[in-house]
Amino acid sequence: MEPITWTGFWIVFVTCALTMLACRVLPLFLLKGRELPERVSEALGFIPPAAFAALVANDLLTPGMFAAGFWPAGAPLIAALIVVVVARLSKSLLLSAIAGVAAYALLVMI
Amino acid sequence: MFTLDNIQAAFKAALPIVLGYIAIGIPCGILSASIGMNALQVFMMCALFYSGAGQFMIPNMWIAGAPMASIILSVSFVNTRQMLYSAAFAPWCEGVSKKLAFWFAATVTDESFGVNTQQFEQGGWTVQRATFVNLFSQSSWTISCVVGVLIGNAIGIPLAIAAFAMTSIFICLLVTQEITANNIVAAVCAIVGVFACKCIGLTGPAIFLGALFGVACAIVFSRVRARG
Repeated sequence: MEPITWTGFWIVFVTCALTMLACRVLPLFLLKGRELPERVSEALGFIPPAAFAALVANDLLTPGMFAAGFWPAGAPLIAALIVVVVARLSKSLLLSAIAGVAAYALLVMI
Repeated sequence: MFTLDNIQAAFKAALPIVLGYIAIGIPCGILSASIGMNALQVFMMCALFYSGAGQFMIPNMWIAGAPMASIILSVSFVNTRQMLYSAAFAPWCEGVSKKLAFWFAATVTDESFGVNTQQFEQGGWTVQRATFVNLFSQSSWTISCVVGVLIGNAIGIPLAIAAFAMTSIFICLLVTQEITANNIVAAVCAIVGVFACKCIGLTGPAIFLGALFGVACAIVFSRVRARG
């Protein structure tokens, strides 16, 4: 592997930073300050549950994940169930993160 | 804006993110250093690009020998999900100055979107506080990544375990959503959508397309139900 040069870095950095900024800023400024129809605001309200579910699924599910046996893919799934219980009981992000990392680390070490 | 109340409330809300970013920022810095990026370059990435997924993908794809165009396209495609967060925050930014709205929008991540959404829904939250949450998160990410570059591969943090902190945060955010039929449809369809995308090889945009599919299903479901 060739180390990345300053020229290469500038190309990747500037284009990625610009597309990222556009995705982050444009939708908010296009919608902000407008009277949104009820249907649109209802749809915006569906974004959080859909996005969190998608992020969780992206971390936990892969096609053919059980091909290498149950444990490599099963351990994070079991740790995730433990987090579900902790999260429902505590409603705390910090406790959930600590419980999740601890459970996952223990399960992987078994 | 810079009141003690705002800063304290924001720090309390940001703490889980800050700890998570320290845990994954250091390995990200180590990985970046391994392709020849220096501390200044990593600092610039954190300050102006600021994307956990993106900053892991760039060195990973570089090591795998991917052409630069393919790196740029994949990274940009993965980050399209930010459009959804930006749109979702628009109603909360009503009446907020353009400068603050820009600063806030430009520093949103998966995790800070989650934490701030939770706080806005609970009430008593402001864009000022939300922006502080973003800035605490970004500072911890930037410092950890630069520290990662400087220490190099001297310590071995198992990345899969550190990264599970983020997964746990997303799980907590998901299961503390209001349980309504519409939300359940949105979540279940998003999960199905992500898995389907991965099955057909669309791994990069899987989060964005899956979430979009979830939102679309929930809209259809709520309309059909309203018609009864």
